[in-house]
Amino acid sequence: MSLAETQLAAAAPLSTPFRWPEEGAARAPYRLFSDQEIYALEQSRIFRGPVWSFLCLEVEIPNPGDYRTTTVGETPVVVTRDRDGVIHAMVNRCAHKGALVCLKKKDNVASLTCVYHAWNYELDGKLKGVAFRNGVRGHGGMPKDFDVADHRLQPLKVEIFCGMVFGTFADEIDTVEAYLGPDMSEFIKRNLGRPLRVLGTHSQIIHNNWKLYAENLRDSYHATLLHTFYTTFKVNRLDMDGGIILSDRKWHHISYARRAKMDEAAEYSQSNVHSASYDSALEGPGLLEAWEEFDDGITHSIQTIFPNLCVQFTLNSLAIRFFAPRGVDKTELFWIYLGYERDTEEQSQMRVMQSNLTGAAGLVSLEDGCINEFVQRGTRSSPHSASFMEMGGREVQSERNSRATETAVRGFWHGYRDIMGF
Amino acid sequence: MNELASTAGARFDPALREKIENLINDYAHALDDEEIDRWPQFFTESAVYHVTTRENHEAGLPIGMIRCVGRGMMLDRVKAFHTANIFEPHVYNHILGRPSLSMEPSTSVCTARCNFQVVRIMQDGRSDLYATGKYLDTIVFEKGSLKFQERIVVFDSRHVDILMVVPI
Repeated sequence: MSLAETQLAAAAPLSTPFRWPEEGAARAPYRLFSDQEIYALEQSRIFRGPVWSFLCLEVEIPNPGDYRTTTVGETPVVVTRDRDGVIHAMVNRCAHKGALVCLKKKDNVASLTCVYHAWNYELDGKLKGVAFRNGVRGHGGMPKDFDVADHRLQPLKVEIFCGMVFGTFADEIDTVEAYLGPDMSEFIKRNLGRPLRVLGTHSQIIHNNWKLYAENLRDSYHATLLHTFYTTFKVNRLDMDGGIILSDRKWHHISYARRAKMDEAAEYSQSNVHSASYDSALEGPGLLEAWEEFDDGITHSIQTIFPNLCVQFTLNSLAIRFFAPRGVDKTELFWIYLGYERDTEEQSQMRVMQSNLTGAAGLVSLEDGCINEFVQRGTRSSPHSASFMEMGGREVQSERNSRATETAVRGFWHGYRDIMGF
Repeated sequence: MNELASTAGARFDPALREKIENLINDYAHALDDEEIDRWPQFFTESAVYHVTTRENHEAGLPIGMIRCVGRGMMLDRVKAFHTANIFEPHVYNHILGRPSLSMEPSTSVCTARCNFQVVRIMQDGRSDLYATGKYLDTIVFEKGSLKFQERIVVFDSRHVDILMVVPI
């Protein structure tokens, strides 16, 4: 984004001024989930602002000439690999009339050509040629001072970290690793720091503002209350040893659980929480066949990277969740299931079976497909009310001894207020 | 020679076709009538039920949205539906095309391909086209009745709207 655009976006007034409640990050006004102007402001201040956005995996574009389209916020973006193997990212918008240049999700091409008037670009987005530049039979054509060097696909800065391609519109931004901070980057290296293999993908349309899903991922409080499949099978309980780590700027987080003895915690048997009455064993125990992949004892982790990325590692089910805003009340949640190139057939099979736990039909977490919509529908007529998030206190800090806390949700709002200037 | 093997030939035996069409129809009607408990019974003990997208299917990728290997995993899905999973109540209406059938004479195993559209009706009355796609089935006789040995449900779209808790 140019300086002028940045200033324009910063100056863009909301027709109704916005004030955050005095309680700070422990409150989120419901207006944030339904206000079109705030949504538009997020596009410039967050998605076209100083963040690193996940674009795709390196392994999705392995060959020279490969491209993959995606979105950064709502901006269409194309990621390419040029003939020297270098990865580029550009706004997928022709420099002529603004039409989409790449129409497929993935393809392999020699160059990029806009179908409208055949403007032709190099794989790095530089304009190569323009149809009828010199006119036809001496008539028409571009003015004499037309220079292809003045027109190109708008580039994003690109960086690759652990097989993930990140892009940013910011001119001045630290490296991805610095953006993540030490704790976050170490954990990504643990999970993704070896050659990856895509095992399958799908997406889910959820009818809620993107920030509700960002909250939901950071909300370790709800995990065992809404999602009772695990509770029933005693796989992931609050009484397992676990905690929450926040990044320096609080907006990324890791929630982790360690293997623990399966003692019944008193809080569960005494409180009248929704709990499933279920047989003690699965009829198809192959679902939870797992192996110990790391020696740190962590069996479950959810890691978020602001603004809209998550890495899941539950048992052996490794997946990237990427949630793209599709309007103020609509989000597309992508599930990219991964394994490692080094996996044995048996290990791959276990990852495949465990994929049943998450995703649009995930036995453990399918509720997340509707719960955020319930909040959207519950709040949209009450823009001046706010959520109350004081589980685990009002502080915004790491909590290494408990996941019965909303600290990571408060962390999201802490970072959000900062970048939005609210 | 068993019943399946006797149908080898250019024309698919009409009597067997009727039985297979009945299986495919009964399956859909059981789900539409909210008789989810009957769902695993349409499969053999060792059957595979797999719901995926066209994109995954064509790329040969193993993970879609659901993969049950064996009836036990289907029973677990049914129990989860009744006791663990939370969702806004809804029902389906399956609209099926006429299946294409073929049979491998040496094994007597039938394969079927049948297009589907599923309309999802929410409790507030909203009716949406929820999914379109095709069933790719392998059908065998088990103890005298036809069962799915494999049912691959291929969604045309990469999307699932909201969630999927009732099988297709």
